[in-house]
Amino acid sequence: MELETQSLVRGLRRHDPELLDHLIGQYQFRLLRYLLYLTGRREVAEELFQETWIRVLERGSQYNGKAKFETWLFAIARHLAIDMLRRRKSPADTPASLDDLGDPGEGRAGFEPANPPGAALIDLLAAEEEGEHVRAALACLPAAYREVLMLRFQEDLQLEEIAAVTSAPLSTVKSRLYRGLAELRRQLEKDHGR
Amino acid sequence: MDDDSHERAERLIAQACVETISPEERAWLDQHIEECARCAGQSDATERALRSLRSVTVQLDPELVKRTQLMVRFRAQQLEGERAGMLPVWVCCTLSWILGIATAPLVWRGFEWLGQHAGVPSLVWEAGFVAWWLLPAIVAAALLALRRPESGRAGL
Repeated sequence: MELETQSLVRGLRRHDPELLDHLIGQYQFRLLRYLLYLTGRREVAEELFQETWIRVLERGSQYNGKAKFETWLFAIARHLAIDMLRRRKSPADTPASLDDLGDPGEGRAGFEPANPPGAALIDLLAAEEEGEHVRAALACLPAAYREVLMLRFQEDLQLEEIAAVTSAPLSTVKSRLYRGLAELRRQLEKDHGR
Repeated sequence: MDDDSHERAERLIAQACVETISPEERAWLDQHIEECARCAGQSDATERALRSLRSVTVQLDPELVKRTQLMVRFRAQQLEGERAGMLPVWVCCTLSWILGIATAPLVWRGFEWLGQHAGVPSLVWEAGFVAWWLLPAIVAAALLALRRPESGRAGL
């Protein structure tokens, strides 16, 4: 593992395109999923996806291997997302936090239900229906809650790693997680109750 | 069962998902959930929410990955070119510093001689000597500053 990190650090420092190709392939789903959760818009997420990898190439020498690569990658993606929204908005309504990122209602097209290979048709249909509920529930959450929920429960990042990605204190991360989880549960219950 | 125990159970259910709870707390929670239908429902709802959250994935356009890989390769080539282009600048700077150090006593005497013949105060020719030393660094800095805008977001 240590060896892998060291070769990753060396490769990034050299701007090794082969390594970058490999990393793009390896982290494609996770990065796009994170950006979709963050921005709620597919076209913005795809644009940021490309910019993030260019930034990884350009700033590769700054990665020292102390943190996990994905933590560093998500932090870059997040900074770019915030920069992009600042550029697109007028200075008067620059977002103060991720809560202002994107319109949750527009994010629905970005999320797709999981279709595990080999699953029976009934399972697929159930998963699709469940995916629809989750998409709807997630779309109702503030982006800051969506972000931490996704980093914790889909990316399985530690709380400290989430704090590093979001540049937020640990206590803020925890409170966002608790509130986000409660809100998600409420939304899902509301959806199921309909 | 009092309200406090329900509140504690709710808190522990959330805490068990987000952080960790001690074995004693886990044992207490399990016991409570067995006896309390309301908290059992709460626990089930939380587990369902997490399961649902984990079931969501995204569809990715393979073209996006290919496009990104191409862009990254193109930018990597640009960076390589820029790095190679900077080599002569660094070589010149290094040579200039080496020569500067080697000839410093001679240049000092030269400035001193010129200063005395021109009849200028010693502070002036000393400042001239310092400027002579700083000149290569200033030229290199100017070259770097000129190159920066073109290397910025080119190719994106």
